[in-house]
Amino acid sequence: MELRSYIIRRVLLLIPVLIGVTLFIFGITMLFPPAQRATLYVTNMRQLSDLPAIIQKYGLDKPFFVQYGTWLNQVLHGNLGWSRAISMPVAQAIPHLLPATLELAIFAVPLIVLVGIFLGTKAATHKDKPLDHGTRVVAILGWSLPSFWLGLVLMMIFYGYFSGLLPPGRLGVQMDILVDSAAFIRYTHINTIDAILNLNGPVLLDALRHLILPVMTLSVINMAFIMRLMRSSMLESLGKGYILTARAKGLAEKVVVNKHARRNALIPVITVSGYLFAGLASGAVITETIFSFKGIGWWAWQAAVMLDIPSVLAFALFTATLFVVINLLVDILYTRVDPRVRLGGAVQ
Amino acid sequence: MEDLVRIRDLTVRFHTYEGVVYAIDDLDLDIRQGETLGIVGETGSGKTMTALAILRLIPYPGRIESGSIVFFDKGLRSELELLKLSEDKMRSIRGCKISMVFQEPGSALNPVYTIGDQISEVYLLHQRQELGRQAKRRIDSLLGNGGTLAASIKRPFWRWQSRLYNKIAEGSNPLEPRILSHIPLFRRLLWRLKDEAGLLTVSMLKDVEIPDPDRVAGRYPHELSGGMKQRAVIAMALACSPELLIADEPTTSLDVTIQAQMLELFRRIKADRGASVLFITHNLGVAAEVCDRVAVMYAGRLCEVAGVEEIFLHPMHPYTKALLEAVPMPGKELQTIPGALADAFNPPPGCRFHPRCPSAMPTCQHERPKLKEVAKDHMVACYLY
Ligand SMILES: Nc1ncnc2c1ncn2[C@@H]1O[C@H](COP(=O)(O)OP(=O)(O)OP(=O)(O)O)[C@@H](O)[C@H]1O
Ligand code: SF4
Ligand SMILES: [Mg+2]
Repeated sequence: MELRSYIIRRVLLLIPVLIGVTLFIFGITMLFPPAQRATLYVTNMRQLSDLPAIIQKYGLDKPFFVQYGTWLNQVLHGNLGWSRAISMPVAQAIPHLLPATLELAIFAVPLIVLVGIFLGTKAATHKDKPLDHGTRVVAILGWSLPSFWLGLVLMMIFYGYFSGLLPPGRLGVQMDILVDSAAFIRYTHINTIDAILNLNGPVLLDALRHLILPVMTLSVINMAFIMRLMRSSMLESLGKGYILTARAKGLAEKVVVNKHARRNALIPVITVSGYLFAGLASGAVITETIFSFKGIGWWAWQAAVMLDIPSVLAFALFTATLFVVINLLVDILYTRVDPRVRLGGAVQ
Repeated sequence: MEDLVRIRDLTVRFHTYEGVVYAIDDLDLDIRQGETLGIVGETGSGKTMTALAILRLIPYPGRIESGSIVFFDKGLRSELELLKLSEDKMRSIRGCKISMVFQEPGSALNPVYTIGDQISEVYLLHQRQELGRQAKRRIDSLLGNGGTLAASIKRPFWRWQSRLYNKIAEGSNPLEPRILSHIPLFRRLLWRLKDEAGLLTVSMLKDVEIPDPDRVAGRYPHELSGGMKQRAVIAMALACSPELLIADEPTTSLDVTIQAQMLELFRRIKADRGASVLFITHNLGVAAEVCDRVAVMYAGRLCEVAGVEEIFLHPMHPYTKALLEAVPMPGKELQTIPGALADAFNPPPGCRFHPRCPSAMPTCQHERPKLKEVAKDHMVACYLY
């Protein structure tokens, strides 16, 4: 199948997925009285003082499907409701908060993938040697620590014990002011990237200082997982006949491992990493909350606590879209690595 | 005839958790120039390990414990003690002077690379200088013709390319192409090497009688039949015109008609190229068809070596006789060899075959029989002779 038509088909598939997800969550919100749900239709601060008018106008006492239709219509017109959690329209909240989460992902994902694959390969080629045992211990530790616990302990050590060495938040107070001043141009709202583009060293360092702990909390478990998967997959690959063929050709061991074994070993890792990255969204909720790293995940938690229904719905839409897009990317990557797999088909 | 490979006192053991496996025990074997030597024996007798020992590719936890394998390099007119070579030197022999075809064509090819890429790899590795020479020749012919504007604009680039490939052709690992080949984008500037390797690959595929070699070169292994894959593997092994081709049961996993074609191919290869072939099989019929001499192995030791007619007409070792009896023939009752295969962890002392041997004598139980030349060009390790 051609790549473009495949992508179009998969993106179209997103529509029923999103309808299903929203039907489900919208259904749950029906349990709350209309006054609680009225913020779904609020677009500015003033309307908050006259909720009965909203209830009247948008028919919040009508049957479920009528209400769902009305809401959907609003969403299609770009009105996602009012977020009480951060006191702004949801449609503005997403671009406001996404850069922080993206910043976490920019650091966490390469760390998970590249370091995981690198260490997994090394562990396999050094099977039963100290390096293998060492990475195994790290993996077991990484695995057995729940990420919220790891986050809290890291915070206790590096913020509490070392008095403020690695603080929570995205930037220190001073830098926060500097960043919002006219002297600093916000190209992307991703602090590290903006700092580099503004050639501002202090902001960059401060941003990195705030990133270390949340990135660690977010990556360690997943990295340990990829590493172990890569190790076993690599060991299996190294035992295959084509590896002996490659050695018998006279190839250097480095080429045998990095070219012939690794490409095959990556196949199962790619499959699994799709699920893993979709799962990062929930990891982000925990991490961002612990470190008050104000991104999408932090907002989702705030929203849940405050019964901020529009925000919760928006978060659900966001994660569902993310899941479908990541799976699409993984599927495409899969066909690039394994010629036996065709787009949209099974292994031949 | 002169020897190409001379194996002496070769001992290979596997140190496993359950104990030590005596895979090969004090093996002496010669492979002569231009001959096809067959190794036959039951499963586990050490045929594959003998071949892998020559390439020094015994898998972990196996180890070559002692012995010597001397390779007489025709090209260099020198003797090489393979077991003492550096790993780098050994690599330059593997796939070039000595190459191997493995039992399972299905698993011998890497599923994620095309057939062409996998064969080209051999040329790019062992014949870089030759490829560089070819590439330079091609660029020089480009430089020579055409006075168009486009040609005159490109000319400085071609001149530089010509110099670059000339450096590669002169060998000794020059700096400029070495740097280029390590930088991802610049590596492209060396694309002509790949192109030349691709041309050689296609002609090699044609040589092993693959129809439509241009298309097959772009195919992935799963798109080819078993016979095609085996031909591709053979093409890979023959790419650098090796002096010794080792074929480990190359026909076992193929169906009978393909098997016959493959044996024909091996006969032709040998006739065309004058290479020696070490042909491993447990099928005596196959050995009779392609081999000049046959070596019989049992439990990691050599029992008997002789010319193919001699061994089939006058087998001497009781194990060889038993093997021949076990070949199914029309109108003959099928004989099996009584007793079980020797235990690899606790091989019987003395002659390894004595628990199953109909002519065993008391000495056979504790004294190892030596390999002796009993008739002209006919060696046997047995106390009967
Ligand atoms: N990885 C290993 N670990 C332990 N022992 C091994 C290993 N590989 C091979 N051996 C032992 O080495 C001996 C020789 O094996 P080899 O593969 O050379 O036999 P073969 O004659 O090629 O048999 P086949 O006809 O089945 O291919 C066997 O006894 C086997 O048990
Ligand atoms: S040495 Fe003895 S046991 Fe071994 S084959 Fe000869 S007769 Fe049989
Ligand atoms: Mg074998």
